[in-house]
Amino acid sequence: MHMERTTILVINPRAVYTRIAIYENYNILFLKDIQHPDQELGRFSHIIEQLNYRKKKVLEELDNNGLCMGCVKAVVGRGGLVKPVKSGIYAMNEALIHDLKSSEFGEDFVDLGGLLAEEVGKELGKNVKSYIVDPVTVDEFNDYARFTGHPDFDRKSVFHTLNQKAIARRHAKALMRDYNEMKLIVVHLGSGISVSAHDHGRVVDSNQVLDGDGPFSPERTGSLPIGDVVRYCFRSGKTETEIINMLMHGGGLKAYLGTFSALEVDARVNHDDPDATKVFGAMAYQVSKEIGAMFAVLDSEIDGIIITGGIANSRWFVNEIIKRVEKMGPVHVYPGVRELDSMAQRALEALRGDVEVLEYK
Amino acid sequence: MLACTNHILVINPGSTSTKIAVYRGLQSMFQKNIVHSEEELSIFDKVADQFEFRKDIILKELSSNDVDLDCIEIVMGRGGLIKPVPSGVITVNDRLKEDLRNSPLGEHASNLGGLIADDIARSLPNAKAYIADPVVVDEFDDLARITGHPVLERKSIFHALNQKAIAYDYARAINIPYNELNLIVVHMGGGVTVGAHHHGRVIDVNQGLDGDGPFSPERTGTLPVGGVIGLCFSGKYTEKEIRKMVTGKGGLVAYFNSNDARHIEDMAKSGDAKAKLIYEAMAYQVAKEIGAMATVLFSHVDAILLTGGMAYSSYFVELISDRVKNLAAIHVFPGEDEMKALAKNGVKVFMGEIEPMVYQ
Repeated sequence: MHMERTTILVINPRAVYTRIAIYENYNILFLKDIQHPDQELGRFSHIIEQLNYRKKKVLEELDNNGLCMGCVKAVVGRGGLVKPVKSGIYAMNEALIHDLKSSEFGEDFVDLGGLLAEEVGKELGKNVKSYIVDPVTVDEFNDYARFTGHPDFDRKSVFHTLNQKAIARRHAKALMRDYNEMKLIVVHLGSGISVSAHDHGRVVDSNQVLDGDGPFSPERTGSLPIGDVVRYCFRSGKTETEIINMLMHGGGLKAYLGTFSALEVDARVNHDDPDATKVFGAMAYQVSKEIGAMFAVLDSEIDGIIITGGIANSRWFVNEIIKRVEKMGPVHVYPGVRELDSMAQRALEALRGDVEVLEYK
Repeated sequence: MLACTNHILVINPGSTSTKIAVYRGLQSMFQKNIVHSEEELSIFDKVADQFEFRKDIILKELSSNDVDLDCIEIVMGRGGLIKPVPSGVITVNDRLKEDLRNSPLGEHASNLGGLIADDIARSLPNAKAYIADPVVVDEFDDLARITGHPVLERKSIFHALNQKAIAYDYARAINIPYNELNLIVVHMGGGVTVGAHHHGRVIDVNQGLDGDGPFSPERTGTLPVGGVIGLCFSGKYTEKEIRKMVTGKGGLVAYFNSNDARHIEDMAKSGDAKAKLIYEAMAYQVAKEIGAMATVLFSHVDAILLTGGMAYSSYFVELISDRVKNLAAIHVFPGEDEMKALAKNGVKVFMGEIEPMVYQ
């Protein structure tokens, strides 16, 4: 039995705020979203330049709240766009810092997670460990899943690894089963949507959530008819950046209904708004189709379908999915995300030596 | 002497050949695949310009084989890339001919089918010209039309003729009306389409021409959207080149420079690891599309029907059925017989089973 109390700081940078949390063992003691107003972020032309600014804000926040900074044994940050890696907890090192800072694998605010963990960790003391857990580029694909239909394109594993794995493990635990012995389809319903096939602890296939394929979501288009995309690129008169912004950040619900908020769309559906009903229904339809595809990936034998993320709070939306897929396997709904708990828990296990800390190369 | 009735002339122009056949009812009286050399076709700028050339060859072929044209009551041409239409038989009229000549979707040899059928029918005493189940048959539910952005719509373009023919054959075999069944029909040829047939309507299907779905011997199917945009703006390719990459030179052609699935299968069986992996990946993607279509049918699927040339391969069929076996019973109808499928549609007109539609 571990009786000692271990304090862990969790850092999860988002577009316009940085979420920090202090955990003592499994319990959350403090949670704060540090807001970054437009005028402050507007000064930076690259996301990476926000590092020092966000670091100062985090340290100020800890200080202002009289939290015991000397107690923190580990800082764990959200993992960003790095090389394809296996699932697990990684110690921050030079190679990770380098790849998070470079835009070789893409530029995203999640890249700041590991860098903040490193920087804040150093400030808190030289024995403080810095980690990232399950970056979005965790890659456990089977060999088939990598093929598109052309050798110039690979299918990449980019999805909501951290939350999917956290929820899947929690679900397995609730059933007193081992995640590594189950076949599950996990659906993350956030501003992007990922639908993934978990086969004995490995995510062997998933739609590519960033700019690849799959269902549309509050802000992204998902799969599009390729021929029409090609025509649009050549004939619309728009620039590459305009088209990328339009499809990857202003597609989906935003494009059809003018809002990123699935909550708002849900409310409109409940007031019988026909446009909202059609588009929200189509989104559920596409999510269901992706679930069916992953069902085939798992040889049409599964232990269950898990639905998670913020939009899982919409009963209407979830029911639209359930009625299409319930014959495939039992459906379990876990609204919200468990990212922070999962990060803290893995860091705790790492400090106690219960899990292997992996080295990024 | 047999009564000279119920004769159907079928005309099916492909890119490098024109298939013709004469049926009495469902009985084939005469079949011929007229091959056109590249040299012969090279003098024409546009497919539509081949009209007289192909028509003359057909008439010559019929007359040299002593086909009694006066017996023909229906001339059935292969459809074309016209406006979306319901499934069934369509009378060739001026509007249809106009769209076959100036297709809203682009040139295709099958556009000549209706045009030649009409011209020949006019020269005969008792004949009427029709087309049946062109690739643009559209029975989509509204949900299937939405992509992920309002500037782009999902379209229904698929192997309607063969999918419908196989679905009807299966329904007849089990003696349940087609419009009471939920079927997933998978056409596996140079392109692959997976259709969700709900009570006689194909309410969703991957857009088999240049849209989405599994890759196939000649087409890429779904590609990562971001990558495609990057390619378009790379400055390295013209629009035409990229579209060719997606439709004619994608899939197995892109990986192996061959559209011959049998050849790739042989390579796989003789130990070529890359051939095995990619061939199996193709089956994997087909299986995923079947799973997707199952949810369109609320996972109530009466049967999965596999058809087209690749359905001759028991290896390929097994790769798919291993993955989708728990969804529904799988039945295999290898190959496709477009000529017979067109003739069947003609017979339905004779029998009064269907009313030919007027193209608007």
